[in-house]
Parts: sequence; C-alpha cells; structure tokens
Amino acid sequence: MTFLERTTDARKLRHWEGNMEADYIYTSGVAGERFFVALRDQGKMLASRCAACGLDYLPARLFCEDCFAELTEFVDVPQEGRVAGLTVAHLDREGVRLSRPQVWAFVTFQGIRGGLVHRLLVPPGRARVGLAVRPKLKAREDRVGAITDIEGFEPVGS
Amino acid sequence: MKTVGVIGAGMTLFRRRLQETGKEMCFEATKMALDSAGLTRADVDMVVNGTAPDAFDGVHMKGEYLADGCGGYRKPYTRVFTGGGTGVFSTIAGWWHVASGLADVVLVVNEEKMSSCQPHPQSVFAHIWDPILDRPLKPNLVWIFAMEMNRYMHVHGVKKEDIARVAVKNKRNAVGHPCAQLADPNITVDDVLASEVMAWPVQRLDISPPSDGASAVVLASEDFIRRRKIKDRAWISGVGWCIDSTMWTDRDLYFPEYVARAAKQAYKMAKISDPRRQIDFAEPYDPFDYKELHHLEGLLLARKGEAPILTREGVTERDGDLPVCPSGGLMGVGNPIAATMGQKIGELFWQLTNQAGKRQIPQEVHTGVAQAWGDLMQYGSVVVMSS
Repeated sequence: MTFLERTTDARKLRHWEGNMEADYIYTSGVAGERFFVALRDQGKMLASRCAACGLDYLPARLFCEDCFAELTEFVDVPQEGRVAGLTVAHLDREGVRLSRPQVWAFVTFQGIRGGLVHRLLVPPGRARVGLAVRPKLKAREDRVGAITDIEGFEPVGS
Repeated sequence: MKTVGVIGAGMTLFRRRLQETGKEMCFEATKMALDSAGLTRADVDMVVNGTAPDAFDGVHMKGEYLADGCGGYRKPYTRVFTGGGTGVFSTIAGWWHVASGLADVVLVVNEEKMSSCQPHPQSVFAHIWDPILDRPLKPNLVWIFAMEMNRYMHVHGVKKEDIARVAVKNKRNAVGHPCAQLADPNITVDDVLASEVMAWPVQRLDISPPSDGASAVVLASEDFIRRRKIKDRAWISGVGWCIDSTMWTDRDLYFPEYVARAAKQAYKMAKISDPRRQIDFAEPYDPFDYKELHHLEGLLLARKGEAPILTREGVTERDGDLPVCPSGGLMGVGNPIAATMGQKIGELFWQLTNQAGKRQIPQEVHTGVAQAWGDLMQYGSVVVMSS
C-alpha cells in the first residue's frame, strides 16, 4: 500500500530522492528579435504583416500560420487596445494568497490578429471587458528586450 | 491498403545553436518540403510531428507548441515520439495516415532544439535511467553506449581502428551536404583514435554531439501522385518497428534484436527475401560510429561481426557495393535527435529521385533502407523505399 506511505526520510530506504536538474536559455527567434529590439529601443510594439491574407500578427512572427508565407514586413501596433477578457488572481502559482489581488487581461487591438496577455494596472473593482488600455513601459534604461519591459496595461487617459 | 510515396523533403542547417525558435525551424523545413513537392499548405490533409523529450527544448508539450510551424493550424495533427527512433518512426505514422485511406497528403515534420538545455542536454538524458536502480549511481548516458560498444567489440574481436573508419567515412560523406555541422574532408582514423576519451571505448570523435535543427517530408497516396503527375517520388515499400525489453540488462548488447525484428517486418512487406542483394544502399542510425556497424548487422545487411570487415574493405563507401550513410549520417551532418529524419528518410528520397547532388551515389539505385534507434537503446524503426 505504497500510496499510504508517510515516510519523508530517505535514510529509512522507503524512497529515493531525485532532482531533474536542467536550466534553459531560449532564443527569441528571427521575428522575436525584431519585436523585442523595437520594444527595447523604440518603445513600440511591432506586428508582422501577411499581405496575402490581409492580416497583421501580434506578437510579430516569421510566418503566416494559415497561408504559410514568410513574413518580412512589420507594422506598428495601434497605441490603444481593448480588454477582451480578464481574471483576478488571488493566489500565486505556488498556491500562496497574494497580499493584494492582481488583475490579468487579454488585450486585443483593432485590425490585429492575436494580442497580448499581461498585467492590467487597475484595482479589481475597475477591471472590465471592453476597457480601453495602452501599454505602460519601463524607462528606456531599464528595458532589456523582454516581455517584462512592458509593466502592464493601464487605462487610456489615466 | 493504399500505396504511399514521398514527394518532397526539406531540412534546416544543423548547428549547435540556431537563432530560430523551434517553430521557426519547423516552418523553414516544412516550407522547403512543400515547395519541393510543388504543393501548398492547402493541399495538406493531415500533419504528423515527431520530436524527442520536451526537456531538450524546455517547452512542455512541445508537439502542440510546434504545431503552427509544422503547418498544423486547423488540421488533424498528432505528435509521435519514440526517442531517437522518432527520426524514422514519424514517417511510419505519416504512412499509416495515407495507407489507411484516411488522407491523401500528409506532412511529417521533425524538430529538436537541444541548445536550450543548459549546460548540456546530458543533464536531461541522465533521467532516462531507472530512478531507483541506476540514477543514484549518477551515471552519464555515454556509459551505456560505451558498455554496448565494448560488448560488441569483445564478442567479435573488433578493433577500434575499424570502428573509427565509420566516423571518417561519414564526416567525409557529409562534405557535400548543405546542412552539415560536422563535415571534415581531411579527417583520418588517427584523428579519431587520438581524440579525447569520454567513457572508454567511446572517444570524442566516435560520437555526434547535440544540435538544433528541423526536417520535413511530404507523403502522398499513389492516386494523388498520379492525378497531379508528380514525377519526383519514391515509394514507401515496407515499414517496421519494434521495442525490446525495457531492462537494458535483459539484452545481450552485442546484437540489436529490436532492429532485426523491425527490419524483418519491413522486408516482408517490401517482399525482400535477400536484403543484401535486393537493397542498394542504407541509412542506418549512426549517432556513434559503432552504431552504424551494429545496425547494419541488425538490418541483416551484414552477418554478425561482418560490418567492420565490409567497412574496412570499402564496401560501404559511397561508390562501394553497399553505400552506407551517403548523406554523411548523424556523425557527419549532425544529431538534433528527431530531425535526423533529414539524413534518413530525406536522403532516401533525394537519392532515389536523383536529387542528392554531390552526394549522389554514382551507380543507379532502386531500393534503400532507413533506420533509427532510440528510447533506452531498445527501439528500432525501419522504412524501405523504392524508386
């Protein structure tokens, strides 16, 4: 009845400890490089255009998933987006209660295929679908070319 | 059962670390394969992806992650995985999609981005060992191959020089391969024998290091190939796959029985009764030089213990009587695990359709066999193709 074991001491020889040790370094890729360099250096978000399908993809990508064309043209994403869906997190991913609830949103932009998931920088009471938002970026000197260069989305006019 | 042909193939560069993401590598290989077949993604009915452990790329459920790069968007899509055996097995999975009559055109796309895993994929490989019996001893994966190589050498009295000849042949064959990571026109047996000892008898140049890359092939039914008047095609005439005991201690390591069983299954389907006479060239799995010899014997293309002799006599050279790894294999082109489909299935297609360029076997070839090997040294997958 192994599943009833309560032993946590490996010296009692009822179990062996293991650890899958592995660290990772990822490449942002060909299109990702363009996207993150523009975010870091110019403080703007790029979408990649598929002329054949009449689509602009956010995040920028190397290929159209539909017609399978290689995408080499980049366009600016509109400054203003809308909250398409949201959640208010009360627990962190370890299951520990957060001192203050966090709002997370899926933000879409007019004429853009895709969108971004990020923090919504409003109190839970003000969070709603349809809210007009814009990205809030870290200061230029603090940006490193990562999705966390965006602090989150804040309401337009705030 | 429908007759299935390979009508296109593509592969990326194989390199220690590529800038492209896994998805982007898949896209490049897939686009190349579709272009070579003269098809677009709209012609594709279903997609099969083959890729080894998630822990290499560092993306969990990476089959799903790679789907758009493989052309899988809004199509029936499956990932298959049989360790290193995936290099040939994913084509078998693609084959059954078409042979069953379910699909006319299937894309098979294999990928591996091993450079994500730091400091070396060895830290992940180590966890294929049994967690209770083996892992507390802190084994390195190379040990297991070293013991198999040692056993093979001991049983047949094989000299290291004859094994090193495989590394030399394949690294020289790879010189004509546009994707090759490990080609070397000047390498000698002495270079291999003088390289660093990793786990005796395995030395640095006996082994193919980790890599990034992707490859793709397009499969189609005979009806489709005739209807579209596609000229460059090679038929899949036999498939076989087999797993041996998962306890590696339960196998006599000198002979790959799992390969022999998979080969017999494939040969029976392909109506091959005398493989040595009926098969013109072979692409056995060669992540280590000794594995080419081991697998040639498993594929019944050499008697037990005979493969090193054939190699020494030049029979397995590109212009020999039985060319082996004319692509340059894993030893010469590189070893991004599942993506080695490019040197196995891809090479059979290119050779049989006379598109191998500098690597083309000088004499006419009509039938070739590709084989991959994986899991904990006990999985064999075999495909026979004919012009």
